[in-house]
Amino acid sequence: MSDLSIVIALTLALCAVLVWLLIPRHESSKADATLVRGAGIIQALPSARHYAYFPLIRQALSAADARYLMENAPPQVAEQALRERRVVARKFLRGLHEDFSNLVNLGRTIAALSPEVSHEQERERLMLSLRFQILYALVWLRLSSGNLPLQQLEQLTHLVGRLATRMDEAMTKINALSAGPVPGRIGA
Amino acid sequence: MNHLEAFLDVGILMFQIMLCGFLYTRKVQRVLPLFTAYGTTMLVTTVLVLTVYEAAGSRSRFAYFTYWIFILLIAAVRSLAVAELCRYKLRSYPGIWGLGWRVLAGLSILFVVHAAIDTWGQPNALAIYSLTLDVDLDMASVAILVALLLFHNYYRLSLEPLQRTIAAGICFICAVDIVSDTIVRNYYAGPLFSFFTEQRTSHWYSQLASLDRINHIWDVVHLSCFMATLGIWCYGLRKPVVAPGRAELLPAEVYRELSPAINLRLSTFNDKLVELLKP
Repeated sequence: MSDLSIVIALTLALCAVLVWLLIPRHESSKADATLVRGAGIIQALPSARHYAYFPLIRQALSAADARYLMENAPPQVAEQALRERRVVARKFLRGLHEDFSNLVNLGRTIAALSPEVSHEQERERLMLSLRFQILYALVWLRLSSGNLPLQQLEQLTHLVGRLATRMDEAMTKINALSAGPVPGRIGA
Repeated sequence: MNHLEAFLDVGILMFQIMLCGFLYTRKVQRVLPLFTAYGTTMLVTTVLVLTVYEAAGSRSRFAYFTYWIFILLIAAVRSLAVAELCRYKLRSYPGIWGLGWRVLAGLSILFVVHAAIDTWGQPNALAIYSLTLDVDLDMASVAILVALLLFHNYYRLSLEPLQRTIAAGICFICAVDIVSDTIVRNYYAGPLFSFFTEQRTSHWYSQLASLDRINHIWDVVHLSCFMATLGIWCYGLRKPVVAPGRAELLPAEVYRELSPAINLRLSTFNDKLVELLKP
């Protein structure tokens, strides 16, 4: 590849990233509007909604249900049902990811609104988020291949739940410390 | 200069006058003084170059030096405008600005050093030096703008409409310049290099036609895209400019208490995911 081709490819790539970054995010804008109207941060930054559905998901994905299906239903129907269970579990995992992202965003929002930030803390959070993305992808793959026990998924859910509760407590403290509601999409 | 180039030159001059009109009537110099200086420098240099072409002829050595030195001057002022754009919104957030300026300054130093090394290695001709430095500074501007926008995105900061328009315009013109300047520089430093070093022999005159053809194509591409960029900036300045207000900050202890706690929890979460993946 000649120098010129490299320059052109690099320029196009940079411009594509730039255009993508310049396009306003519509979902964020909607959220901003809510925040600007004065809603509190606890309502505006949904901390962890999906983990609350875990008992229902557990019921739907229980091993007893699976056994019953395999023993009583025709093989095709049982396979179809098991496939659908995995789809439900994947959707649930995606929901947990969303919960996690909301909590990470909360950390970033606090950093943005702080008069001073620690480089180490920010670097650490960035690395943790990147690591989470990789691990999440691997768990998702194992779940898709039917290779992840439900019990482990339950542990994960409880962890996010505890985290969410702690964050809700933290936000109550922040709201008490600061004069007004903290904006979610800053400066909108 | 043919009719198309003459038309584009007049069009650019009109757009530059319009841009300067907007900049000063909207009092942008109070909010973005370096971008205003960039707009003004472009207008002044265009007028000076056209005057020199008229007085000394577009093929004179004086016109050659004036043109290529002004190209460098504009690239330098544009780089300053990019630096100002980085500071424009982030200064309202002293915590992350303290973090951001180091990242952006590090990136800038890296690109400037690269530009110096790249230019040093070029054949000895002002046009080639200017084109190389211009390409490298353009590349630095685009990369720094990308870094700035990633930073905004990461911390969920929204862009001001004017900031968005200026960034889009600079990105567009820099991208066009990077590609077209690289093509032209390759011709100058390659097949046409003897044109810059030889005396005016018959070979020199035979290369003149090639040089004119390349310059013509480069001028048309550059001027058309530049006019579009000026249009983008004028459009962005159609409304009055509002300076970004200071953000309402949280007490410093909120971050000091919560940030380590959040990171600890995130770390625990990742550990659990690792456990999930163990056979």
